[in-house]
Amino acid sequence: MKIKDIMIRDVTGALASCKLADLIGILSRHKITGLPVVNNNQEVVGFISLHDIIRATLPNYLGIINSDSILSEFIQLSKSLKEYSQHPIEEFMRKNIVTINEDDNEVLAADLLIRNKIQRLPVLRDGKLVGIVTLTDICRVLMYNNENKKS
Amino acid sequence: MIGTVTLNPAIDVIIEINNLKINHYNKVLNAHTTSGGKGINVSKAVRGCNRETIAIGFLGGGRGRMIEEELRKMGITTNFWHIEEKTRSNTIISDKKAGQHTLFSEAGPKITEYDLEMLKSIFYRVMSQCSVVTLSGSLPRGVPVNIYGDLISIAKERGVKTILNTSGEQFIKGLEKKPFLAKPDLRESNRVFGIKIDKEKDAINAAKEVVQRGAEIGVISLEQEKDIIATRDKIWFAETNYHEIINLIGAGDALIAGFAIALTEEGKNLEEAIKFSMACALASALREEEEFSSREEVERCLQYVNVKRL
Repeated sequence: MKIKDIMIRDVTGALASCKLADLIGILSRHKITGLPVVNNNQEVVGFISLHDIIRATLPNYLGIINSDSILSEFIQLSKSLKEYSQHPIEEFMRKNIVTINEDDNEVLAADLLIRNKIQRLPVLRDGKLVGIVTLTDICRVLMYNNENKKS
Repeated sequence: MIGTVTLNPAIDVIIEINNLKINHYNKVLNAHTTSGGKGINVSKAVRGCNRETIAIGFLGGGRGRMIEEELRKMGITTNFWHIEEKTRSNTIISDKKAGQHTLFSEAGPKITEYDLEMLKSIFYRVMSQCSVVTLSGSLPRGVPVNIYGDLISIAKERGVKTILNTSGEQFIKGLEKKPFLAKPDLRESNRVFGIKIDKEKDAINAAKEVVQRGAEIGVISLEQEKDIIATRDKIWFAETNYHEIINLIGAGDALIAGFAIALTEEGKNLEEAIKFSMACALASALREEEEFSSREEVERCLQYVNVKRL
């Protein structure tokens, strides 16, 4: 099965110059947790998720993910988010990211998503963003394929 | 890729009943909900012809996400800007026994300057993927009448052809920026540039004026299934001779989709493009839904289209 038949046909992205506060607005209105970062020609230059933001704004990120509670860092998180709200997302995004071509298949997508521990994978055609494939979509497709084989 | 802009989309709620009784309990026979808006209908028709399309515009709230989901399921790519207020809905009560349709149309949500700026930014980016873009429909509150003109300028800067299909002041203002093709929307009032479109002569004059004001191709709908198409040196008359029309909603948008496909993606000459577009409009009018879902439906309609040069 080709990625173009599985992907979500949405090319919502944000420019690297987008302010953090504006990005949070986009994520909450779309009810998603991350977005591709694009340039003015719809070429993907990065990816930003809420976890990238928290990782970048909390200096003690690695420490707290191994601790029992985030409570001690809560005030720091709130402070950082306020402080960074007008900063461009370029400062927080991941720059070397994995993408997939629309003509690739679900096996490659599953491999990339699972090995890189990511939820959303930008889909490209001629280097430009044409959609997103999520781990949920891949699981759905894999489950459906197995049922087919059984019957 | 064919881009479409819908600034004021809607959810259409269609309620079918028998003999509507005001002030009474009415039993609903059937109810369904669908996404509406002129640009969205253009995208649906483009997709019906199995071409790639990307829809942009403003959406808001759960209704907005519902529209997006429906479009993506059809294979339409989306890149809407989500606003604070929710997308409007239109309620259509279709009285099957009486054969009457009653439409309740909500005013659109409020668009802020920030929303407009973001939409233009999306538009600029998406134009890098398009060969043609259609700008159709009414404007929600807070959107200035020169918006289509601004978008035409951006599209031109990026080498993308533009098709303008709207009414009133935003049509006149848009024309100033010289779109490739322009067709006034005459559903609310059959006047454009102060010309009342009653006879073929009026339509010819209006189509010529569209060209004179800057469009390369001017299109005027005379009445159902009749159109006048003008360029700088030629005038065409097109009509369909198949009259068992089922649903005219979306037929005008299918016509626009036809022009977008034929003139830009398939490089047809104008006469072939007119024929193809009229067939798209007819195919749309022959279905209950707003738009057709296969290229074959359009091909079948070609035989009922007559195009002649005046």
